[in-house]
Amino acid sequence: MSVADQAATGTGEQPALRLGLGWLFGPPALLFVAFLAVPIAALVWRAGSSGELSNNLTSSLVLDSLRLSALTSTIVLAVAVLAGTPLAYLLARRDFRGKMAVDLLLDLPIVLPPTVAGVALLVALGRRGLVGQELDSSGIDIAFTTTAVVLAQLFVSAPFYIRTAKAGFESVEPVYEGVASTLGASPLRTFFRVTLPLAWPSLLAGAILCWARALSELGATLIFAGNFQGRTQTMPLAIIGAFEAGKSIEVPIALSVILVAAAAVLLLLLRLVARGGARV
Amino acid sequence: MFRIDIEKRVGRFDLQPRFEAANEFVVLFGPSGCGKSLTLQAVAGLLTPDRGRIDLPGGRPAFDAAARVNLPPQERNIGYVVQELALFPHLSARENIEFAIHRWPAAERRARANHLVSLLGLDGLEDRRPRQLSGGQQQRVALARAIAAEPSLLLLDEPFSALDTPLRTLLRRELASLRRRLDLTALLVTHDLGEAYALGDRIVVFDDGRVLQHGARESVFRRPVSRRVAELVEMHNIVPGEVVAYAEGVAVVRTPWFTTRVRDPEAPVRGQVYVCIRPEHIIVVREGREARETGDTVIETEIIEEVASGNTYRLYMRAMPDAEVGEPYVFEVDVPAHPYDVLGIASRRDWRITLSSEHLALVPRSAV
Repeated sequence: MSVADQAATGTGEQPALRLGLGWLFGPPALLFVAFLAVPIAALVWRAGSSGELSNNLTSSLVLDSLRLSALTSTIVLAVAVLAGTPLAYLLARRDFRGKMAVDLLLDLPIVLPPTVAGVALLVALGRRGLVGQELDSSGIDIAFTTTAVVLAQLFVSAPFYIRTAKAGFESVEPVYEGVASTLGASPLRTFFRVTLPLAWPSLLAGAILCWARALSELGATLIFAGNFQGRTQTMPLAIIGAFEAGKSIEVPIALSVILVAAAAVLLLLLRLVARGGARV
Repeated sequence: MFRIDIEKRVGRFDLQPRFEAANEFVVLFGPSGCGKSLTLQAVAGLLTPDRGRIDLPGGRPAFDAAARVNLPPQERNIGYVVQELALFPHLSARENIEFAIHRWPAAERRARANHLVSLLGLDGLEDRRPRQLSGGQQQRVALARAIAAEPSLLLLDEPFSALDTPLRTLLRRELASLRRRLDLTALLVTHDLGEAYALGDRIVVFDDGRVLQHGARESVFRRPVSRRVAELVEMHNIVPGEVVAYAEGVAVVRTPWFTTRVRDPEAPVRGQVYVCIRPEHIIVVREGREARETGDTVIETEIIEEVASGNTYRLYMRAMPDAEVGEPYVFEVDVPAHPYDVLGIASRRDWRITLSSEHLALVPRSAV
């Protein structure tokens, strides 16, 4: 079920059935909402009341990590969409040998701790890794570079895009494509003029999820790329870096606020996309 | 001349359609799941046959297993209206229509779309999305889109199944006149006998993946070749009997319940037969009056059940065998509401019925 579908069923127009359990379920529900809201509110409140926020936001640690995060997550998003869309389409439309295995492989990064992904990438692409050895001998060194950051983010976040895009393609009835071809459309025209527009809300939702995941990536990057300011230190890593350097808690707070804001914007976008998709 | 003669195995289902069609309206008629829709898919190029050959109306082969010809759908020049219509929801009515002619120069494309919009009575609706159109309007857009590129063959898969009866009747008439004007071959799939009768110049009767009979509409409806076809064309009364005499195109058939004459000029059937007759071709005889023609068979019956359905009554009328032993036969008889009232059928249970010889069909009992 795609995000769009979920939104469609969620906005049903039937009046909600009232069982009168509010008095029983209300208090624990409220308690939990408070549990989620209080830390976020505290973060925003501390950032706002320190008076140092603008100074902290313009510190080199914050600016470097902000720049790096924006750069790497954008590249990751582009690669995931360009390379992931064909894979998602094939998974949705074709039967091939090993499809189950590919499907499973796509789920692994979602389920695994990101640190495991980092170790795996290091073992594969590190200087003494399986593929890394060969690359090293031809002068290419990936581990602990910005490229490594991109690869680590890609590894853990692209499956989110591919999963969602696959569900989107699956939700497009094949009869549309069949009819398009009888109307003289080549397979490529059918894909771009029919399949892609119909799957669009899911692709967009997948892209947003992928981007959000890439922005928050920490474990895999830390192990495979290290924590070097300006080179591999993205925002989540900069928070750790700031703590380790024994600096005040003000810098981590500033970084956190930026990440909270970015996440909130992305989630809001996701909701808008889902609602737009449901209307088509 | 369109021709199809293919074999395709789909799961455990064997599809073996085989028939031909000139520039006429051909109805593929049969129960659900008999392979009519799969046949259209094969013609459209969306289902690849295992064996055989499909020739498009111009004579060009669309598929020929022996010569390894298999044109992709986009090169077959076929208009295909699927059951679910599959209008592109992200495109307006006009964009849906123009999708079929995207290679035409812009001015011609627009002119063609305008022409189709007015031809199908869609004026003022061009910019609407499919979901903003009624069922009948969507139907027309799908039809306009299918014929936009001037196909030589039009495929229609139960296109009216989602519409209410008055609209269906209207669109059927429009479709028939449209086909005549465009002078193309149209294949329409339906399981609705009324639709088959209303539209088909030629009827192809399908059952279980194969063609049981095909021919001009009247010949299929009046002269089924087998018991199964008789059942499918709703000849509900199928009585086992035997031809005991034959002279000058008239067979004398004896059944345990009656003996009757059957005019049977074209394909003489002898020996063990079924006498087939539609419920509306059995006439209840007015009390005190003899049968209209002396040749008509008169049978004594008793009404054992009746079902009212709007403007007709379906009567179940039991006839006893002529001999002392044997099972009774129950005729299904349709009587329109007006004669039902005039005759006073509700007043008693014993009625005589007649079978008129020109409406009887004989099929050999050996035919499947």
